[in-house]
Formats: sequence, structure tokens, C-alpha cells
Amino acid sequence: MKRRDFVKQTSLASGLFFVPSFIQAFDGIVGAAKGYRRLVIIQLSGGNDGLNTIIPYRNDIYYRNRPKIAIQRNTQLRIDGELAMHQNLTPLKRLYDNGYVCILNNVGYPNPDRSHFRSMDIWQTASHSHEYLSSGWLGRYLDRHGDEPYNGIEISDKLSLALTGDKSSGIATNNAGRLYRTAQDPYLKLLIKHHRDEHLSEHNLGYLYKTLIQAESSAEYIYETTRKGRSYQRYTNDSFGKQLKTMAEFINSGIQTKVFYTSHEGYDTHAGQLKTQPRLLNVFSKNLEAFVNDLQKGGSFDDTLIMVFSEFGRRVRQNAANGTDHGAANNVFIVGKNLKKNGIYNGLDDLRRLDANGDIRYEIDFRSIYSTILRNWLGVQDDLILNDQFEYLDFI
Amino acid sequence: MERRHIQHLYWRAGFGLRPEELNRLSGLSRDQIVGDLFESSRSVYPLRIDLSEFNGFRADMAMTNKKELREFIERSRVRIKDFNYAWVNRMVNPKAALRERMTLFWANHFVCRDSHIGFVQQYNNTLRKHALGHFGDFVKAISKQPAMLKYLNNKHNIKKSPNENFARELMELFTLGPGHYTERDIKESARALTGYFHDFKGRFVFRYRQHDMGVKRFLGYRGRFTGDDVVNIILAKRQCARFICEKIYAYFVNETLVQDHIDQMVEVFYRNYKIDKLMRFVFQSDWFYDEKNIGSKIKSPVELIVGIRRTVPIEFRKINESVVIQRYMGQPLLYPPNVAGWKGGRNWINTNTLLLRLKTPSILLSNGIISIKEQGQFFDPMFDRFRPDLGGKKIFDVVPDWDSFESEFKGIDIEEMTTYMLQTSLSEETSNMLNDLSKLNKKTFCVQLMSLPEYQMC
Repeated sequence: MKRRDFVKQTSLASGLFFVPSFIQAFDGIVGAAKGYRRLVIIQLSGGNDGLNTIIPYRNDIYYRNRPKIAIQRNTQLRIDGELAMHQNLTPLKRLYDNGYVCILNNVGYPNPDRSHFRSMDIWQTASHSHEYLSSGWLGRYLDRHGDEPYNGIEISDKLSLALTGDKSSGIATNNAGRLYRTAQDPYLKLLIKHHRDEHLSEHNLGYLYKTLIQAESSAEYIYETTRKGRSYQRYTNDSFGKQLKTMAEFINSGIQTKVFYTSHEGYDTHAGQLKTQPRLLNVFSKNLEAFVNDLQKGGSFDDTLIMVFSEFGRRVRQNAANGTDHGAANNVFIVGKNLKKNGIYNGLDDLRRLDANGDIRYEIDFRSIYSTILRNWLGVQDDLILNDQFEYLDFI
Repeated sequence: MERRHIQHLYWRAGFGLRPEELNRLSGLSRDQIVGDLFESSRSVYPLRIDLSEFNGFRADMAMTNKKELREFIERSRVRIKDFNYAWVNRMVNPKAALRERMTLFWANHFVCRDSHIGFVQQYNNTLRKHALGHFGDFVKAISKQPAMLKYLNNKHNIKKSPNENFARELMELFTLGPGHYTERDIKESARALTGYFHDFKGRFVFRYRQHDMGVKRFLGYRGRFTGDDVVNIILAKRQCARFICEKIYAYFVNETLVQDHIDQMVEVFYRNYKIDKLMRFVFQSDWFYDEKNIGSKIKSPVELIVGIRRTVPIEFRKINESVVIQRYMGQPLLYPPNVAGWKGGRNWINTNTLLLRLKTPSILLSNGIISIKEQGQFFDPMFDRFRPDLGGKKIFDVVPDWDSFESEFKGIDIEEMTTYMLQTSLSEETSNMLNDLSKLNKKTFCVQLMSLPEYQMC
């Protein structure tokens, strides 16, 4: 796809096809291009325990299975007559009360895999449980609708499978300045100066040169563009806080990036779960709220959709070490301003009908969320990217 | 045999040639050189690191004592990195180059991952032992390895509740390829593969009582099959030979398959499934040395790193850093992403990995500096988080052995180095650029050559 088509197609999707983004910069909003829809994915790595995140506080089965680690009734932020948020999710609850959050329960896939690597691959590639794909779903989106590596950015120092396409890939960076200086290596610049695009062959060596030329221009673009980006909120002083701050600065700078990706590590709570998970939820929700507020201030929240997922949920029954083992279906959060449906999308599954491992069965295939986002938010044909047709949901 | 062809052979069948080795071989015939390659790989040199620290661990302790078990896992994790480093060192200095190359190839065919260092080492040496042997024996051995029994859950495959994971991958990824068997074949072969187990020390155990003795219908045959029978039946299919030949061609010759060449290979391989015979046929074929095959392959991260270290020996003071480089380039050995393995080719390349790959020679050899003109300009390298701030001396804690390099390249003119170090001819643009740079000395020029995209090819 040519650059012009990309611009046309993405602005069509936003309904602002007659206003190019550079003109919008004049209408009072600092930096951010209005009408340029983008997607943010936040991955909670390790398998977040969804049951202690969104708590079924009236469910006896929940309490019976978790004598030592169930979250007690009186300390929670109630959502409805069945579910409540963990007390450390107060910032998320504020977003929720503003109507910015949709919670989907029992999200998973058939024949769930309980290995971290494998299940993460399945989520990132949108494959079936028995299928091995070497490209990610967002990478395939970039293959079809992207133009430059910076159309997909992962705030990290290593690009994950999700943003790796068959033909093109996104770019990973924690620090635009560092990436820029690397690409500005005098020797590499000299090489680029001697090689012009048009002389390069389609063979592997030509491909390397093309990638190098693209790398240099992308690094420069990201650096020059994001220097103007501002963030106004206070984030926690850890890597996740820094990542979301960087991401907010990037987005508020008006960078032409359709997909952002980042992850929050540490959710593999096999032992002493009450010591770790609450701390993680606190970091997660504080920074998420700061991030949303930052985007609102920068005028970019309207055009941003955030999805939060984890590779699997955890077992309903606690283990002997006061932790939980790898499970199956889990909850997913969608955060955005103009959700078609906010609140609880679907209730938690009946804990009396768990699968053979004692895990929650899936009701919503995670690829239905992807297909809905691709079609309804990014405005592209989802089945070409997901290699299959999945039922659409109506949260957006 | 032409020097370029000898280099081509050794880049694909081994890990490249040092100047002295190349000079020794040039002038010999193809028969002699290929013969020499196989002769030197006849013996198996197992790769072992010292694991005596684990001698005290016993099954009953690990089962009953959680703390012991955790300590075991933690120590094992560290030692797997040591084994990774030992493996890379082995490829840098292989006594049996072809066998080591085949071992690396099979490790990405019979893909497996485990956290138990004893099983990891045992698995790796099983690959090495069978790398040039009989393919059927190889598959049977793999199916009984503790690491594989764990990885694809076949140790949980019992008569009462069959687990199809291994049976499925056996056909899909290891022998036939998708589309050449039915779901029914998977179910039936899973039954035949029941009862496989291993003991604490990693020895195979066949548990008769968990084995399904019943009649199975598999790929058109009917009988009370065992796991080994299943392998024999698969091998009887010509498709199995074809599947392996295609994979070997894509890896050793060219990603673009030429049907005529594949047909010739299948003819050879299907006869007796001897891997060494097949490989000898490939390396003796004229088409292997076709111009379009030479220097056309994007090096894997391991090929790149091993190649650099064969030209300039490098010692890593911190073993973890050697693993970190592999991870950032996308190929941490012993930690494959999934059972399908690394796809290779252009999949190695994205913006991040390419920049790192181009910078790695200078990061390892000249602290991130690639000289231009007379003076090297200092700049902030990508990986300043690895650089100790004290004096900013080194990005990685490595010791390059430049003396060894100097002695290898002693009799070689600086202008000639290009032909020793690169497998592709330089484009006019690149030659012009290099000509503009002053060739200060061989060390500087070596880093410059290694920092070219051309050096990424083999």
C-alpha cells in the first residue's frame, strides 16, 4: 500500500477525510492530529489473576476455593450486584465511572494452552491453539495498511511477535534519542548516502539496505516528532510508569503511529499472591489513569482505544503456597471515550461449570475482540488480517 | 575447486573458513574437500559442562522438599546459560564442523525447550549423535528424550487419557508436514505412543500398564502398533523424505526451492534415510555451487556471531551477555519461541535487529566505534545500559584476541581481506565508499567490513 492510500484510508475511517492532519494542528490542539485513530495495547505479562482483579464478591464458590487469598467483601469497589474491583484499582474505577471502561469477562480460546510462551504467542499471533504463526496480528495489519516502521511502535527495547509482520514490522524503542543516535552512526550514514532506494534489488541484500535506509529515516522521524510531545501527569517511577509516560508523549506529539504496544511484567503469582498482585494492580491503574488524563489534556483521548489483556487467567482454586496456578479464560479491559457499550459487557461465567483443570471456560474468543477493533475502530477488513472470520462484538 | 566455492561450502556446511584453512584447502578437488568435510565429522564429540554440583539431588528430595526443588530449578537456569555459551564456543572452534552445523540445523527441526540442564544437555547430544545418521533412528531417539517427553507432553500420554500433542507435531513438524495425515491418524498414533516415560535421571522408561495394546489404524495400516512402529510407517511414505529434503534445501542451498533438485534429493534419501548420504549428494551437486546460491542467505544471529568470533576470537567475561546478544537479535539458543522454531530468512530482520546486527561487530571489537575517515568519532551506542559508567571503557565485558587475527591475516594484503571475509561481491556503491575511507590498518578495516550489510550474507 502506498503512503497516500494509507493516509486516505485511515482518515476515511475517522470520518475526517477532507482535513489533512497537518491542518488540524492549527485548531488549538497541541500536536496531536485529530481524527487519527490509534490503538494502544497493554499486555499484563505472566497471567494476571482476573478473579482477584474483578472480584465476584457474592460468590461462595470463589470464597470456598480461596480460603487464604480471596478478597474480602467489605474492601472492594463495587461495580454491580455481582462484581467489584480490587481496592487498588480506584483510579480504574474513576475511569469506569466516567463511562470509559468496558470489561469483557471469560475471554479465551478453544483448547487453552497453559504455557506462558505458547499462550502469549497465541494471543500475539491470533492463531488457533494448534497453529504456529510467525507473524503477529498487528504486524499483519502493518503489512497491509502500514507504510513506515513507525506506524507501529512498541515501547520496549525488543520488538515482540505481535508487531512483527510477514513483510514489514513495527519498531521498538524505549528512548527515541537513543534509537536516533544509533541510527546516526557516521559509518551507517555514509553507507546510506551511497545507496539510493532505486538501485536496490529485490534480493536479500537489497532488502537489508532498504531496511537500513528505512531504519534511519524512521529513527529520525520518531526523534524529531516526539521531541514536541508533552506529558502533564505524574507517573510512578518504575519501568511501566516510564513506558506509559513515553507513550503519552509520543501520542501527544501527533506522531503518525496507528498501533502502540507495551507490557507490564510480573503477574505470574504462584506464591504469596497477596504480596505481589495488589502492588502490580496499583502501579497499573495509577499509570493508566495518568495516561488517559495526559491524552485528554493533549486532545488525543478521543481517537485512542486501549486494550488491556493477559495471556491467561489463573486457576479458581488457590494452591498451597497462597498463590494461583496457570488457568484459562480471563477478563479484558477496553478503555476509550466513545464506547458503544461501557460497564460490564458480559457477566462472569458460572464457577460451578469449570473445565477439567478447574479453570474458567471461555465464552468470548479473543479474536472476536481483535476483529471488532480492526473493523469498527481501525476501519479495515479484519478477516484478511486474522485469516478467519470471527463474530463481531458491539463494545465499539 | 574454486576458492569462492570452498568458502561457500564451508559457510553452509560449517561456520566459514579462517584464511589458513582456506589456503590449505585451495587446490584440492571437490571430491577431496567434501570427503575431508565428512571424514572430520565421523566422530561424535559430545558437549558437556561440569554438572557435578547436581550430584546430590535425588528424586525423593526434589519431590518432598519444595525448597530443594526451587534451588535446583534456579541453579539449572544459570547452568543452561553456561551450556549456551559452551555450544557457541564449540561452533567457533569445531573439531567436526559439519556435525556441528547439522546439530544446529536439527535443533531448529526437532525443536525442544526445557528448564532442566541435565535434560537439555542430554537432548543436545542426542541431536549431535544422530545428526548424520539414520533419520528413523533419530526420530525414535528424539521421541524418548526426557526433554521432549516433557515439552510436548508425551509423558502424560496414557492409555486412559491420551495426549495428542507429540503425535500431532511428530507428523506436522518433524516428518510429514501438514495435509498428509488425518485427525484420525493423530488419535491413533497418540494411542501407539502411550506409556512413554522417563526417570529422574533422564533414562527412558516404558510403562507397559499405561500403554494401549489395542489395534490401531494408522496411515492405511492396521495393527497393535507401538511408537516405533508409527515412525516406521511414517518413513515408508515418500512424503516424509520429501518434507525433510525440502527443509534441508531451504536451509543449506536456497529458500527458493527448485523442484528438480528436490526430486533428485528425495531419490537419494528415500532409499535408506541416511542423512550423511543425502548431505554428501547435496554438497557434490553442481547446482549447490550455482552463482545464485552463493552469498544469498541472510545469516542467522548465531551464524553472524560465530562468524565474527571465528575471525576475531572473543572471550565473554560475563556469559549472560553472550545470551543477551542472541536474545536481542532474536535467536537465543536453547530458548526457541515455540515448537515450530525460528523461521529464518527475512524473519530475522526488522529495524531493531538490523541496527543491532550492523553494530554488533563494533560493539564487540571496538567499543561501538566504526571508523570513518582518519578519525573515529565517538557517539552514544544503542546499548548504553550495558555500559559500565566508570570511564565508559566497555559496552560489553569482552576480550577480543586481536593477536590471533593478526597472525591469521599476516600474509594477506589489506586489499585482499574483502574476499576472505565477504561471500557477496561488493556493489559499485559500496566499493566506492570503502575506497574513500583510508585503510588505516587491518583491524580497523576488519570492523568496517563486518559492519556492512554484505557481511550479513553467507
